[in-house]
Amino acid sequence: MNKTWIILKREYLIRVKNKWFLIGTLFFPVLIVLMVILPSVFMMTGNVGKRTIAVVDETGTLFPLLKEHADGAYKDDQGRPLYNWIEISKNEFDKENLNQEVLDGKLDAFLIFPSTIFENNQFELYAKNIGNFQFNESINAMVTAAVTRVRILDTGLDPQKVHALTKSVRAKTFKVVKEGPKEESGELVFVLMYILTLTIYMVLIFYGMFVIRGVVEDKSSRVMELLLSSATPNQIMIGKILGIGAMGLTQIGIWAISAFFLTTYGTLMVKSFVSQAQLPALPSLSLGSALAFVIFFLLGYFFYSALYAALGSMGDSESDIQHLQWPVVTPIILSLFLMFALMKNPEGPMAVVLSLIPFFTPILMVMRVVMGAVPLFQVILAVVLLILSTLGMMWLSARIFRIGILMYGKRVTLPEVMKWIRYSS
Amino acid sequence: MEIVVLRNVYKFFGEKHAVEDLSFSVPKGQIFGLLGPNGAGKTTTLRMIMRILLPDQGTIQVFGNTLAPSMVNRIGYMPEERGLYKKMKVFDCVAFFGELKGLSPERARKKAKEWLSRFELSEWAQKKIGELSKGMQQKVQFILTVLHEPELLILDEPFSGLDPVNVDEMKNMLLEMKNNGTTIIFSSHQMEQVEKLCDAICLIHRGKNVLSGTLSEVKSKFGKNRIRIYYDGKAQFLKDRSLVLESNDFGKYVEIQPAPGVTPNALLKRAVQEISIHRFEITEPSLHDIFVQLVKNQGEQIE
Repeated sequence: MNKTWIILKREYLIRVKNKWFLIGTLFFPVLIVLMVILPSVFMMTGNVGKRTIAVVDETGTLFPLLKEHADGAYKDDQGRPLYNWIEISKNEFDKENLNQEVLDGKLDAFLIFPSTIFENNQFELYAKNIGNFQFNESINAMVTAAVTRVRILDTGLDPQKVHALTKSVRAKTFKVVKEGPKEESGELVFVLMYILTLTIYMVLIFYGMFVIRGVVEDKSSRVMELLLSSATPNQIMIGKILGIGAMGLTQIGIWAISAFFLTTYGTLMVKSFVSQAQLPALPSLSLGSALAFVIFFLLGYFFYSALYAALGSMGDSESDIQHLQWPVVTPIILSLFLMFALMKNPEGPMAVVLSLIPFFTPILMVMRVVMGAVPLFQVILAVVLLILSTLGMMWLSARIFRIGILMYGKRVTLPEVMKWIRYSS
Repeated sequence: MEIVVLRNVYKFFGEKHAVEDLSFSVPKGQIFGLLGPNGAGKTTTLRMIMRILLPDQGTIQVFGNTLAPSMVNRIGYMPEERGLYKKMKVFDCVAFFGELKGLSPERARKKAKEWLSRFELSEWAQKKIGELSKGMQQKVQFILTVLHEPELLILDEPFSGLDPVNVDEMKNMLLEMKNNGTTIIFSSHQMEQVEKLCDAICLIHRGKNVLSGTLSEVKSKFGKNRIRIYYDGKAQFLKDRSLVLESNDFGKYVEIQPAPGVTPNALLKRAVQEISIHRFEITEPSLHDIFVQLVKNQGEQIE
């Protein structure tokens, strides 16, 4: 135990003291923030310019209604209308001329409302970029609103009243848990589920690679035999796994703490700058979900890193890592695919069965626990199964490990590995 | 007291017999040489003593018991393939292995300091191991092996890759440790280089014990039966099988193993008739000669 601790300490310190640890730890959140912020920044700047749209209205009634509706419903932060409308009378209409103005950038688009628009439900939109779905949809919505208004007026009804009568209804979501229903946003549950499962996914892939690389490096530098003369293969393997795990926890801890400060103080700061900024409410984590996350996160790491260590012991150069990692990366990626497939029905028999298979448990169980109320016995069963298979995997890996670390210079085949497992030594 | 005892040890790798029916014992305070050509099974034997590999048959006892993990702290082991943490600082690496051998962190640091200054590496203590020259790295490797003052030292090819100065230094170091009561087992394929160092040896070939015993036992078994003649002229008598069993002509001198029953006097009598002799001496065979002779005989038996 003491030797495991000494190896753990070295594995941890050598990595945490490395400058790349610092760079990676700092850079990763910056990357994430950029990925989240940049698109919304682009979207915002994209909307700032006022769009000028010409309209040729053959019906004679639609244009004023469209303008009224658009100016009222589509405004920027300062309350100014987003669209600038120009009506072109039928007599002045010159398609060539309008085309040229669009090409020159004087116009963003022009619309033609045929007199048959009320029967055929169709009008024409001319623009340079007709692939901008957001823009197309806004125009469709505005014209639809105007057309609907004309139709309502034609039937002699009061548009205000119709609007009030046809107001759409939305569900307020409640999550049913043992303690009784509790209000929770459906989207936020999804966001939370994604954050937690993707964290586990990343940990398994990313820190697993540290384990496989660590073992291969010690083999290629021939330090392994020296270690073996002082400690048992089990001590070396477990020391490595725990040391790298501790490094991972340190890194994730730093991110979690900074995320906490960023969300609490960051929100306040952003609010003080942009008065009307709409910030998403933050998902809150229930105690049960948090506990499930921590347990499956840790067990998942131990289960998979034992496998990574065994695979690492089969290689002795950097290039071996490429093909050695597949047997372990495949089930991890598969769990993610299964998660996407099963999250619509997290209580179905498929979800229940698959989430009990140790290879998939870490990701699928966390998904199920966050998404809905999983019966407690299923969670306990999954934990027990995962603990047993982790112990089994550790035992199996240790047997492969202690033979593998002395093997050099040949690619290992599966029958050979089976033989190693059976060896008494 | 016997520190290491091997009894009828076998080790197979698939069909290959790496070690076959090997037995020897090493008393306390001796230097024991495990000698043989490359691929003879020396490394496998040493790894089995360290319990890095387990024997398929037979028993190995260290300090009177089967080696348990708790006992490895009393042993210093230097593998044939030298390896160090290249990215670690010299001092940290030495202290780490000291701790791994059971020293307290304080004591490991103290010992690391002592040994580094003894090998004149103090200036390099805070450098990364990768920045050291090969010779310095070998010194660090040796420090790792002896830092915790082991009772038993197991060195796999300690002299390979060393320049002549360092070979002498290593020999002196081993003799000094022997005088402090340390038992030392080492392997080597360069027999002549080490024969004077050993109290006892075991010659192995293809995993089998060819010859073992104390150096004087081994030598006396073969007796002072080699004749070396420095000469000029044509030595026709060398081809006479009734006189000469085997000869090895080096140009300036020839080494002769006389046929059974032939006395040096009889040989000399014949030689003076054919060549002019500068020097005539009776010597004992070198370990290398003994080994070659034994392996040849054995080879004839096998084939």
